[in-house]
Formats: sequence, structure tokens, C-alpha cells
Amino acid sequence: MANEILGVVLSEAERHAARRVASVILRVGVLRAVEPEHLCFLFSHLAHGTLADGARLEIQEEPVRVECVDCGKTEARSFAWECPRCKGSGITVQGGDSLEIVSLEIDI
Amino acid sequence: MRIEVERSIQQSADEASRAIRSLLAERRIYALNFISSPGSGKTTLIEALLDRFEGKGGVAVVEGDIETDIDAERIRKHGVQVRQINTRSSCHIQPSQLLGALREMDLSGTRLLIVENVGNLVCPAEVPLGEDARVVLLSVTEGDEKPLKYPLVFKTSRLLVITKTDLLPYVKFDVGKVRRAARIANPAVEIFEVSAVSGAGLPALLDRVEALRSAKGG
Repeated sequence: MANEILGVVLSEAERHAARRVASVILRVGVLRAVEPEHLCFLFSHLAHGTLADGARLEIQEEPVRVECVDCGKTEARSFAWECPRCKGSGITVQGGDSLEIVSLEIDI
Repeated sequence: MRIEVERSIQQSADEASRAIRSLLAERRIYALNFISSPGSGKTTLIEALLDRFEGKGGVAVVEGDIETDIDAERIRKHGVQVRQINTRSSCHIQPSQLLGALREMDLSGTRLLIVENVGNLVCPAEVPLGEDARVVLLSVTEGDEKPLKYPLVFKTSRLLVITKTDLLPYVKFDVGKVRRAARIANPAVEIFEVSAVSGAGLPALLDRVEALRSAKGG
């Protein structure tokens, strides 16, 4: 995963003729088995000697979106099978499974 | 300077799973990725399905385990083509490993590919293998809270097979609760209850697999 992120980061950086990558913003869903500390460690290790050497990895958490027939929309930090607000059972759950590079901050 | 990227990681970078997809599409092979905890009955279910498949000659199986080829040997006895992948340090089959196995296989008459992933509900859910559908198994001895604890695999699986239903009288397992939680994770999930020992539920599952397969391969 760290390798895939680095691949995308480097190709985007090269496309924009960056001198170096300062930071990378990731969106990671709460349902993904991603350990931020491990990911940052592996990324900085792999990025050594590349344009992304020393780049900061910022992880934005994407919550699960819960839609409840009784009380409307809410968000949750884990999978829910009842509404986190009203405990109603008529819910649908969406999102929480993103794994995306949102943006890069580069120096030109 | 800020660059907006908005790119999903697995879709953009996973060349091996894309190569698998095009290999399967070219040969019109329908591929199922079986995922579950260790011991929930993946191999036994595959064996039970093979015993009942009419077009068994068109089935190929890829077995994933950290070590040993015990499962491949079990499948081989059913007279189908099988490959064992030993993932060693990896807790799931990597797309590159599956691609390597498929390139070594003779898939000329193959219509259905069954991939049995390493027993694990976490990592295999994170790694698409280019399959047409995921099948998640949950045995009644594991407990009915699994869809809540491991939502991603239940969210991304097309079929949920509740296995070992012959043991239901002896365990505290609420099928209704599992059905409800699984449907919240994935409203489109198709749920089957089977026992490979008694054979209960197998015909319905077999019919569904066959219908999915022929929709792709004709």
C-alpha cells in the first residue's frame, strides 16, 4: 500500500515538475485495516532518496455515513447496525472504505 | 503548491489485479474469491460443490495458504485442476501471486475459477484479486457478531454463505442477527445457509453460482 501511494505521488510530482514533495494528504476510511503509524513509517522508508524524501503523510479519517429512517443522517467511527443516535434499526450504512490520495503539497 | 489528486489507491496502482481481470475476461472465466476465518469450512464447501457440479471439468481451483499443499491435495482428489499458492509471510493472496499461478495453468476449458484465500477476515478484504465476486463464509460456530467486527469483508462480498448449519442446535448463533447486520453492511448481499455435511442449502448455492457464471461466460 505504501509503495502504491509512493508510485502515485512520484508520478504526480514529476508531472508537475516538482523539486520535492512536502506533504501528502490521504483519505482513509475507518473500516480499512490501515495502521497510520505503520503506513507513515513504511512510506518515509520507501520515499528515501526520492522526490518525496521527508514528505509528511497526513491522514484524514473518513467516517461511516449512517442514514436512519427515524432521525436522519449521522456519522460513526465504526460500523453500526443500529442508529448511533436513536438506536433505531432502520438504517443504511455507507462509506468508511475510502483509500485515496486527496492532494499533494509540492515545491517547484 | 497544492495539487489535487483525488485518486483511489488500489484502482490506480494494482496492475496485477487488472491483468487478472483482462485474462479472465478474454477467456470468459467467472472467478469467485472465497474469504473467511480459518476453519469456517472453505475447503469443505468447495469440495461439496465440486461433488455436485455438473460441468466439473470447467472448474479450476487456486488454493492459498501460508504453508503446505494439504488443501490442494484435497481438491485434486475431486478431479479438477488445482494450484497451491504458499503466501509464506503474507496473510492473504497477493494479485501478483494469483496472476503467476493462472499463467502456469491450462485454462483452455475453464469456465469457473474458485480462489480460496488464506483464512483471515481482515487482509483479504483489503486486496481485490480481479475476481467477479467475493464469497464470504461465516460458520455458525464462530459467533454471530462477525459482520459487526469485520464489516469491510461483509460490505464487499456479493455472497454470504453461513456454513455448518447442521450445528445450529448446539450453538448460540442468531441467523437473523447475522442476516440483518450483513444487509446493513451490503444491502445487495445474497445470503445462503448451507451444511456441507447434510448437503442442506447446497443446491440453491450451486444454482446461483451457475447463474452468475453463465451470465458472464454463456
